[in-house]
Amino acid sequence: MKEKLEALLKEGTARIEAAKSESELQEVKGALLGKQGSVTELMKELPKLDVSLRPEMGKAVNNVKNLLAEQIEGKREALKLKASEIAPDFDCTIPGEAPLMGGLHPITQMCYDLNDAFRSMGFEVFGGPEITSEYYAFDNLNFPPNHPARESMDTYWLEGHDSGEANEKLCLRPHLTGDSVRYMQTHKPPYRFVYPGRVYRNETTDARHERAFFQYEALIVDKDFTYTAGKVMIKSILSKVFGQDVPVRMRAGFFPFVEPGFEIDMGCLVCGGKGCSVCKHVGWIEIMPGGTPHPNVLRAAGLDPDEYTGFYVNIGLDRLVMMRYGVDDVRLFHSTDLRFLKQFH
Amino acid sequence: MKLSLNWIKDYVKIPDDMDLSRLAYDLTMSTVEVEGAENLRDRFDNIVVGEIKEVLPHPNADKLRVCKVDVGADDIKDIVCGGSNLEVGMKVVVACPGAMVRWHGEGEPVEIKNTKLRGVASFGMICAAVEVGLADLFPAGDDHEIMDITAFDAPAGTHLADALGLNDIILEIDNKSMTNRPDLWGHYGIARELAALYDLPLVEFDKFVPDVKEVYDVRIADTERCPRYIGAKIEGLGIKPSPFEMQSRIWRVGMRPINALVDITNYVMLAVGQPTHVFDSTHIIDHICVRRAEDGEKLQLLNDKDLSLSSDDLVIADAEGAVALAGVMGGAKDSVLPTTNSVILEIANFESKGIRRTALRYDNRTEASSRYEKAIDAERCDVALSLSMKLFSELYPDMKLVAFNDKYEKKTVQSEIDVETLWLERRLGKRIPPEVIAKKLGAMGFKVSFTDTNMHVVVPTWRSTGDVSIKADIMEEVARMYGYENFEATTITTSFDGAINQLDTDLIRRVKEYLAFRSGMQEIFTYPWMSEECVNAILPTTDNVLSLATPPSPTERFIKSSLLPNICRAIVKNERNFERFDIFEESKVFLDERYTSNYKNEKLPIEERHLGCAFVGKSDDISALYRHAKGIIEAMPRFTHMEGFTFKKEEKPYYADEVVWQNIYVGDKKIGDIALLSKKAALACGIKVLSAVLVEINMDELVPFKSRTNRFVRMPEYPMTDYDISFLVDSMVKWEEIYTAAMEKAKGGLLRSVSFVDEYKGKQVPDGKKSLTIRLVIGSDEKTLTASEVEEVANGVMKKLSKTFGAERR
Repeated sequence: MKEKLEALLKEGTARIEAAKSESELQEVKGALLGKQGSVTELMKELPKLDVSLRPEMGKAVNNVKNLLAEQIEGKREALKLKASEIAPDFDCTIPGEAPLMGGLHPITQMCYDLNDAFRSMGFEVFGGPEITSEYYAFDNLNFPPNHPARESMDTYWLEGHDSGEANEKLCLRPHLTGDSVRYMQTHKPPYRFVYPGRVYRNETTDARHERAFFQYEALIVDKDFTYTAGKVMIKSILSKVFGQDVPVRMRAGFFPFVEPGFEIDMGCLVCGGKGCSVCKHVGWIEIMPGGTPHPNVLRAAGLDPDEYTGFYVNIGLDRLVMMRYGVDDVRLFHSTDLRFLKQFH
Repeated sequence: MKLSLNWIKDYVKIPDDMDLSRLAYDLTMSTVEVEGAENLRDRFDNIVVGEIKEVLPHPNADKLRVCKVDVGADDIKDIVCGGSNLEVGMKVVVACPGAMVRWHGEGEPVEIKNTKLRGVASFGMICAAVEVGLADLFPAGDDHEIMDITAFDAPAGTHLADALGLNDIILEIDNKSMTNRPDLWGHYGIARELAALYDLPLVEFDKFVPDVKEVYDVRIADTERCPRYIGAKIEGLGIKPSPFEMQSRIWRVGMRPINALVDITNYVMLAVGQPTHVFDSTHIIDHICVRRAEDGEKLQLLNDKDLSLSSDDLVIADAEGAVALAGVMGGAKDSVLPTTNSVILEIANFESKGIRRTALRYDNRTEASSRYEKAIDAERCDVALSLSMKLFSELYPDMKLVAFNDKYEKKTVQSEIDVETLWLERRLGKRIPPEVIAKKLGAMGFKVSFTDTNMHVVVPTWRSTGDVSIKADIMEEVARMYGYENFEATTITTSFDGAINQLDTDLIRRVKEYLAFRSGMQEIFTYPWMSEECVNAILPTTDNVLSLATPPSPTERFIKSSLLPNICRAIVKNERNFERFDIFEESKVFLDERYTSNYKNEKLPIEERHLGCAFVGKSDDISALYRHAKGIIEAMPRFTHMEGFTFKKEEKPYYADEVVWQNIYVGDKKIGDIALLSKKAALACGIKVLSAVLVEINMDELVPFKSRTNRFVRMPEYPMTDYDISFLVDSMVKWEEIYTAAMEKAKGGLLRSVSFVDEYKGKQVPDGKKSLTIRLVIGSDEKTLTASEVEEVANGVMKKLSKTFGAERR
């Protein structure tokens, strides 16, 4: 009997330990302590024992019964803490619910990226009127009186305001450069500011040409500013915006409001400068004109060009964004098509 | 503009082993953008000289022949050909398998393969000139003539480019990159830049000295518009083709050879950039006079355009009338004719702006006018004269100069510029030795002399017509010839004078980011012009709307005075693909009113920065759509840190639904509207199914906080109870009235707030009533309220609502 009891305790403990769920544990409990359980069966054998042995053995059986019951309760607690109340067919692979799906226009995003980059270098953000007089669109930017850009084939003049004196002739601004003079006329040098915005040209549109597009100009005016410092500025900005070192080169270019003028190219990021269809196989992409403000522009702003100089760039935001995302048609930016715009969140 | 490298080499001896891509790169970096460089020879790969040995009939076709052709080294091939001029002994152009030709000169080039024609095997093809792109040099008598090169001394099998002397590199220059450089519009000008770049000698033209006594009668009536006119009467000429090499050069750079006389003038222009002209001298009566046209004076141009001239036009006239439009085009009557054997050669200088005006006036821009309008110097006539006379005497050994006149009334003044060497050094960020500057500038014709502190520069005439006039121009010349890439990077220095603080700029960005990121809206861009159907639907009047003089299309002449018309267009566009979307645009609008400006002398129309929004969805729950829209607008001030909005019902927007609209206020100032687009307006815009709540706000009226204004409020010490009550009330009673009435009960201190939970109209609610659920927050700062104390506050509110509106608790 004693041996039986010891074996039972050992076996019961092992079975309790092995139970993996509460229901399994319940089964084990029934098999041990239930009406037909092994412990109960053993108790039923007590009366058959010699009277002198009964108290001792009765105590021992009870002891085992209590030990097992204790273990079962302990195990039950342990299983409870471990268990999940969730049905096992819960599917964790279902995708999450999307957050609010709004976004800024890809050009606004690029504009803000540039704002952040320029502001970190101490530039202010400025904006001028989008309808401008001929005076600010051309005259004080050193455009000669017969410059082709002034003709209506290139500029959107306003009905009823398309003739007369330069301060009365009005157009949708054909470029931002006039704003630089506005800023300089109303602030004190030295200057360091950017002036992003939309500009308008009366053009035939195609995948590379738009009537309304977004430019981003930056101007530094200071004493003794060299164009090589300008190159450093461009390189810093582009490298920040594109998150990698961007090669920059400046080559001869001509624009009425700068002297000297440059075409500024950035290394093609698509092919790494090896040559591909995006860069027309030259490894460089023309992204902006720039240069030193023409003395006449500085004079228009009331500055002495012998004392002041500076650096100016005009970044074509549309082109930069097309480059960033691989967009192949500039007209998509004004398409208002949400299938397009939602790609850039 | 196209340039022939061989031609350039006439003037500057570029080494034959010069790397072509290096040359293109250097020109691009320093002078003009080279867009491409084509090896002309490549076009004629696998195209060789063939000699016809036999011409046999084709067994299956009357019009075809089977030719036995020697294609090199006595390799005789059968080639089927339908040419009308086939002859034994003739040298022809054979496109061997692999060559690219254009069938009958049309379509894309196709690759030649061995083939069978009507059952007879044919090796490649005997080509017509048009099929190998040489029709301009070998004009065919009829469509079936094949190209005859018997006259060329080249054995069978010779590569066609070798046979015809077409081994050349053609550079394509971006015209836009040299609009400011009149000196570059010819091969000689580019040669001069290359000579300076590579320190190579430049060939000079001899000065032509006329040895003739008779003075040709040239009169200049307007010396401002015509500073110089050389007239030379030459006899002993005639119409004939020019030598093949001259024709070939003209063709290689994109013009067509015509005849020797015309070719000479074009050749001179392409060489030195100076247009010239020849008149048939028998048609010029008495003299040449350069004068303004009379208003209405008639002239028929070479291209048969009949002009009625303006007094702003400059003409070349004889004793009887205008014979040419100066600097633009000759007249039909007096130019080179088939019978011409003596000419008046014109080499003249015309003022640029006048030529441009005239060319534009008659929409008649030519190679000549586009060069003149860049402002050519008067001295260049000498170079052109020298080259012209050389060519005349080469092409016509019997020619005779019988009369000559060089009327030089107004010289091109050479610019003289003083540059302080210290200034140059500071601006360049580098000291470049005077001898280097003198050498580089000298190679381009500048004369430079130095004193201790100064550099005196005399600009050559060909750069003195506006191109180089100030010291910044000299700096550019020095820098580009030294090489922009040879300057070391310098750092940017700055002085700190306070952080950038731009409240308005920052507010615009916060608003846009709030709408996009917190409110889930998508930003759109639209054009500054509005389409007419939306304008009529949205705006009550177009009286104060500006319009374009030359609009992109007749229905897009109005300039934005509101953002909503274009936003409605965007709804139409997206309705096809989405049934629920929220969009916004931030942009300027303009009104034809109150012309003022912050800037001197300028009168500008009113310009405002607006924000336009559309909340678009199905029409089944307008209340939810409106509340969604209003929630975003209502919370905007809080999240973007500006003065708050209030909503009033004062003035219905024109496009709005009769019932669903409010005006938005900041303080006492109306700054915008929120409204459901009426069904009528929606249909007029072309919106078919969806409903839209529109918002437009004048952002100029928004008042940003200087810093954040949120104040900390201590958390309540005792619990607050949310207590919802539902009641029935007349459906016309507005929430605002209920709120005001309920909040009167807050004066006691225990009622903390009243808020809207739900509104219901439907089955269990009688007609004319609505069921409203509101939430009261009840609590005390001194103790935890008992249930009955809470109940008492709620009952007080309910009693007030019952008394005021007849509300019945449900």
